[in-house]
Amino acid sequence: MSTVAENELGIDRSIGDFRYDVDYAYDAGVGLSEATIDYISDVKEDPDWIRQFRKDAYKKFLDKPMPTSWASKDLEAIKFEDIRYYLSQGQAPKRSWDDVPEDVKRTFERLGIPEQERKFLAGVEAQFDSEAAYSNIKKAVGDQGVIFVGSTEGLQKHPEIFRKWFGKVIPTGDNKFSALNSAVFSGGSFIYIPPGVKVKHPLQAYFRINAQNFGQFERTLIIADEGAEVVYMEGCTAPKFETATLHSAVVELVAMPGAKIQYITVQNWSANVFNLVTKRGLAHEEAEIKWIDCNIGSRLTMKYPGVVMKGRKARGEVVSIALASDGQHQDTGAKMIHAADETTSNIVSKSISVGTGRSSYRGIVDITHRKGCKNNTECDALLINPSSRTDTYPAISVRGDSNAVQHEASVTQISAEQIFYMQQRGLSEGQAMSLSVNGFVNDLVRQFPMEYSVELKRLIDMEMEGSVG
Amino acid sequence: MSSTLIPTDVVVQAPSLLSDYSTSPGWPDWIQEMQQAAAATFHSLPMPTRRDEAWRFSDLKRIDLSPYVNSGFPGGSCDWQARSLGLDSVAARFIYANDELVSREVIDLPPGVVLQPLGQAAVEHEAVVREHFMREQVRLGSAKFAALHLARLATGTFLHIPKNVRIDAPIEIFHWVEGENVAVFPHTLIVCGENSQATVVEHFLSADGQPALACAVNDLHVGRGASLTYVTRQEWSRDTLCFHLNATRVARDASALALQANLGGAYVRTENLSRLLGEGGRSDMLAVSPGSGDQFFDQRTFQEHAAPHTTSDLLFVNALDDRSRSVFSGLIRADEGAHFIDAYQKARNLLLSPQAEADSLPGLEIQADRVKCTHGATTGAIDPEQIFYLLARGIAPREARRLITLGFLGDALKRLPSDAIRMFLDEAIARRLA
Amino acid sequence: MKSLQIEDLHVSIGDREILRGLNLEVPSGEVHAIMGPNGSGKSTLAKVMAGHPDYTVTGGDVKIDGESILGLEADERSRTGLFLAFQYPMEVPGVTIANFIRAARQARLPEGEELEATDYYAELYSKMDQLQIPRNFTSRAVNEGFSGGEKKRCEILQMAMLSPRYAVLDETDSGLDIDALRIVSEGVNALRGPDVGMLVITHYQRLLTYIVPDVVHVMMAGRIVLTGDKSLALKLEAEGYENVREADLEAAPVS
Repeated sequence: MSTVAENELGIDRSIGDFRYDVDYAYDAGVGLSEATIDYISDVKEDPDWIRQFRKDAYKKFLDKPMPTSWASKDLEAIKFEDIRYYLSQGQAPKRSWDDVPEDVKRTFERLGIPEQERKFLAGVEAQFDSEAAYSNIKKAVGDQGVIFVGSTEGLQKHPEIFRKWFGKVIPTGDNKFSALNSAVFSGGSFIYIPPGVKVKHPLQAYFRINAQNFGQFERTLIIADEGAEVVYMEGCTAPKFETATLHSAVVELVAMPGAKIQYITVQNWSANVFNLVTKRGLAHEEAEIKWIDCNIGSRLTMKYPGVVMKGRKARGEVVSIALASDGQHQDTGAKMIHAADETTSNIVSKSISVGTGRSSYRGIVDITHRKGCKNNTECDALLINPSSRTDTYPAISVRGDSNAVQHEASVTQISAEQIFYMQQRGLSEGQAMSLSVNGFVNDLVRQFPMEYSVELKRLIDMEMEGSVG
Repeated sequence: MSSTLIPTDVVVQAPSLLSDYSTSPGWPDWIQEMQQAAAATFHSLPMPTRRDEAWRFSDLKRIDLSPYVNSGFPGGSCDWQARSLGLDSVAARFIYANDELVSREVIDLPPGVVLQPLGQAAVEHEAVVREHFMREQVRLGSAKFAALHLARLATGTFLHIPKNVRIDAPIEIFHWVEGENVAVFPHTLIVCGENSQATVVEHFLSADGQPALACAVNDLHVGRGASLTYVTRQEWSRDTLCFHLNATRVARDASALALQANLGGAYVRTENLSRLLGEGGRSDMLAVSPGSGDQFFDQRTFQEHAAPHTTSDLLFVNALDDRSRSVFSGLIRADEGAHFIDAYQKARNLLLSPQAEADSLPGLEIQADRVKCTHGATTGAIDPEQIFYLLARGIAPREARRLITLGFLGDALKRLPSDAIRMFLDEAIARRLA
Repeated sequence: MKSLQIEDLHVSIGDREILRGLNLEVPSGEVHAIMGPNGSGKSTLAKVMAGHPDYTVTGGDVKIDGESILGLEADERSRTGLFLAFQYPMEVPGVTIANFIRAARQARLPEGEELEATDYYAELYSKMDQLQIPRNFTSRAVNEGFSGGEKKRCEILQMAMLSPRYAVLDETDSGLDIDALRIVSEGVNALRGPDVGMLVITHYQRLLTYIVPDVVHVMMAGRIVLTGDKSLALKLEAEGYENVREADLEAAPVS
């Protein structure tokens, strides 16, 4: 699926198909059945209620059809019976740093990926030693009473809080993939912020890199109690070389009255991955939930972060950047459900389609039973090449004479005159393109934390350089 | 636009409209054949369901064909001409009552223009009619109803403007329905020759305020360099289930401007398809719909850019009071190779009461490059500061809302090239809102 | 005496009190000016008199020629003869100036009586000419795309066409250059007479050289603290509001 352009960039996504010779401590084998569920629950020593939860979810997964009536037919390429649903990485893989291709090393260089992270990303190391690098942060938040553990530890050690909200924001039956995740989930984070605590430093999924967090079926639950504030980041701009082809994560956020949660994702899976994620937040009175999402990788990403504004004056926001290159389809959007009066929501989505890349926006804004609500949606698409493609499919429902919704979308491309003008000032064609594209996404990129935004810009630059011609 | 699953146990609707079906002997054979096929198509297609993307948010319970019966001629006592109050100066005027042509006046048509009932044209101008009659596939969801229309078609209007001919004054067509639960099937086929120009205004009216079914089709073919303005004033009774299905084909360098004023109807399903088939073509699609009571405006549009250097511009404004509702679903598609297009779509909804509801689905599918395309949907209520401004000038609250609503709806009327038609519609809307 | 009378008016927005016992009387035939620093409550006073729903009157009264208007809705107050020239006039898309003023005039006629079109337009054009508003503005939507000066002139045009008994001009000079200011002032002066009382609210003295007031009031923190003749305006311009604040403390008028 690589084009000439991509080879020049040094992002050879076919590396994602590289197979390691790995010896896994726990392996549930391929295919999914009730036995697989039992295996997983046994290995994890799940309490009974979780085992039952998984089994009920499995039934729902079987019942639900694939959503190909509205979604990409490409979904039919997923072979459920060929997937490994549980792997626990124990041993080190047998690849050495010398085996890593030069252009991959150069990618890391150009993206400014820290030394320590490169080996993990290249599949040379199985685990990233997060303890040493980030123990200070972990201690600091621990002192504030913040709970930040993996989902398994969360449900075992903090069942009261966990059980209260787990599966409540996204019910198992929400869609086929949330059902799948609910059946086989493993990994992901459980975070609880006590009332009034404002966590200063963004929490990173296991502090940025960890094998478990790149698991296929991770499940994250974040609860910010009254007046608490937290920023959580997951993902990485560097391409992650994965053998698995299906990633189906579920993220549930709960913001109690007056709380604020920001959830930042940068997704750059390799080109063979189907990335189907269900993300939703529940915002109580005067709480705010903001999703900041950047989708660059994968073969097909389907992700529609949502906020259910359940309390008066709650606020939901989705900021999304998608970059679809050759052979990729970024199918993203937002869902804003106004379930209380005087709630506001805001959606800004910018997508760039390069080569034969396709980006789609799907949105739902529902203000049908409330008063005094507002929504603003802006979705803009930038097409770089003649074969690039973009679609927009929003659905907006408003009832009553005290609500206001504004939705605007536009499709543009960088004009040849603009490029010529910049060239006349000494910029190469590639540089001119990068400048324009960065201008297009700039105000959104700025909303990402510093570390990400710098890498993001560089990544976009690299993608753009190869796109011209 | 989307495939629908046909349930295996579907109960096929066979309303009294088609129960004693036989084709109308007035038509030439080739049309009768089409009608027979259409009747079969009608029976084989299922009624729309909630799963159909083309009927998303519709109120399907209100699409019930069973009460309606075929129309009988209403009787000659009515002076249709006197009742058909339209524009002051027209080039020709046709009046239909219950699908029967009851009046035909030609005042001033340039030579060569063909304005005839479809039956006559199908014989005298068979080639042109055959080339254009019901050629366009109904893609926006009402294929079943278009089939019913064709099966039951009794008459229609055929207008052909030859090459280089301009008709300055508008041609006016009235469609009346009379009687309880009567069904009518108005049909208008317009073919504009190269560089021709015309304006057509159609009125859809109820003679007695009774419930009725109207299933109307208009096919507009705008030839190379031609220009067509097509205005619809839909004012059926408030108890009428109506379908208005449009297809407009725009050739190279041609332009079409269509405006619908929806002043009546209980459930109004409109489908507007504009196909820009030649470079330089342009289509303006406008609609003005004041809703009250339990009215439902079910609006589906499609701006299809099949050629480069084409333009489309859509503006639909809905002002919804009481428990009225609207669904606007509009798609702009730029096919592969349709570069350098300008496509705009704007749906504006003014909600005037707590139970009014507007659902908007503005869509884009862009496969071409170098396009300029924007779409937007705005829904909101009247700005309280605006109301206060009018109140502070002594204008009573009801009148203030009426003025602001008229102003809001008038925005779409501003795009009409003809002052006379604009003023006529202004008054009709003002009467409707009084 | 015929007058616009404000008696011990207390007004709040939410739980914040803005007018704290304001007293003022504008006799018919006179022009009074209110000057005051930002935040003194000047615009609140104007809007409250017109009946704006955002404000709550917690005490006192406003009377026109002896009759209280606080019980009346905004449109009723207008028809009673009160005119407010807004500081920030609203845009009303799609509603032409001609139709707008016509509706306002029509609203003042008894039930069943129709406004006579030719007379109406004749009057409208003559007043537009006086205010140097191009005649084709009749078909433009009210205030849509208008410059600051055009908006204010449009307000005065409406005032001219509605012949109020009492007119409140809320910072009519804000955003105007000298030329616009002059034209607007001429328009206002042309409407002065024994049967009209005017209350001109302004921050700057400049307007008052064109629209010369009979009486000048100073408003601070929601009350009238000082009253004088037109020379008071010049004094304020020269010395600023701070001196007045002190005088306020020393000789606070009975509220």
